[in-house]
Amino acid sequence: MSPSVLICDDSNMARKQVLRSLPEQWKTSVQTASNGAEALTILRDNSIEVLFLDLTMPGIDGIGVLQGINKLNLNCSVFVISADIQPEMQAKVKALGAKEFIRKPVKADVLINHLQQHGLL
Amino acid sequence: MSEFHLTEDQQDCLQEIINIAMGQASDQLARYLDTFVYLKVPSIESIGAKDLLQTLSQQKNTMAVVSQGFFGYEGIRGEALLSYQEEDSGRIADLLGYEPDELSKDEQLIDISSILTTTFLNVFARQIDNQMSYNAPKLLPSVQNSLSEHLQEMTFNWDLALKVNISYQVTDYSFNCNMILLIPETAIVNIKHVLDRILAEF
Repeated sequence: MSPSVLICDDSNMARKQVLRSLPEQWKTSVQTASNGAEALTILRDNSIEVLFLDLTMPGIDGIGVLQGINKLNLNCSVFVISADIQPEMQAKVKALGAKEFIRKPVKADVLINHLQQHGLL
Repeated sequence: MSEFHLTEDQQDCLQEIINIAMGQASDQLARYLDTFVYLKVPSIESIGAKDLLQTLSQQKNTMAVVSQGFFGYEGIRGEALLSYQEEDSGRIADLLGYEPDELSKDEQLIDISSILTTTFLNVFARQIDNQMSYNAPKLLPSVQNSLSEHLQEMTFNWDLALKVNISYQVTDYSFNCNMILLIPETAIVNIKHVLDRILAEF
């Protein structure tokens, strides 16, 4: 069973980094967004089960997306993947409902580990 | 498009490397000052040396600039400029928690600058399998012409530079610091090779 996945990051390279870290069987059902607004549109119109979310983005940033998810009452597991590793930021995204904070650059074994911990694999 | 301009992919790749370096530099700053640093998306642009002098030396209210040269393997080199605003000068001592006579304001500025610059550049270098060496940081006196003189001296044989602008906003104190990296055209070509090597892995 592969869940529907959305990767949101303003960097094409970062999106590819996440994509190639995913479990093989997940790679067929992945959508991507390059900013927060695009991500929220996809989240609203599709049932996305797992979101990999960057924080520092132009326009609606990752915090804005998390707030949007809460407002829309969406049931989606969010894994924040960011370079903004300050403890205060990590606490903030968890308070907004993110399952985990993963530091960039993302590594496949770390990502898989987190997915397993949350029973998604 | 000249050999000194970055392709879209190269720009994207460089930006992501910079994001990671900036994230770790701000984390160090946040720990050092025991506060939170707000990050914005950095800007990267190619700029002619003459325009550079104009843009940078006309910045208003700049209290002080700390300049530090860096150089790594494979001909990667440049200059990091950290600029502080006039209104923040009195806040720096509070932020750092020094007693008034412990360190001069100049020494404090050099301290904070070297935390940001070396953390940023070490993380940057690590990601491209490189290693940086640094010149001693130099505080430019807050005399109006010192920045433009310094820039003129530094860029006298440059035509073009890659200018990366990163802003660190310390929210609790409304204290701002701008980091500007200037990379001369010869080093741009070398950076492009490194970026292509990274991109080839994807």
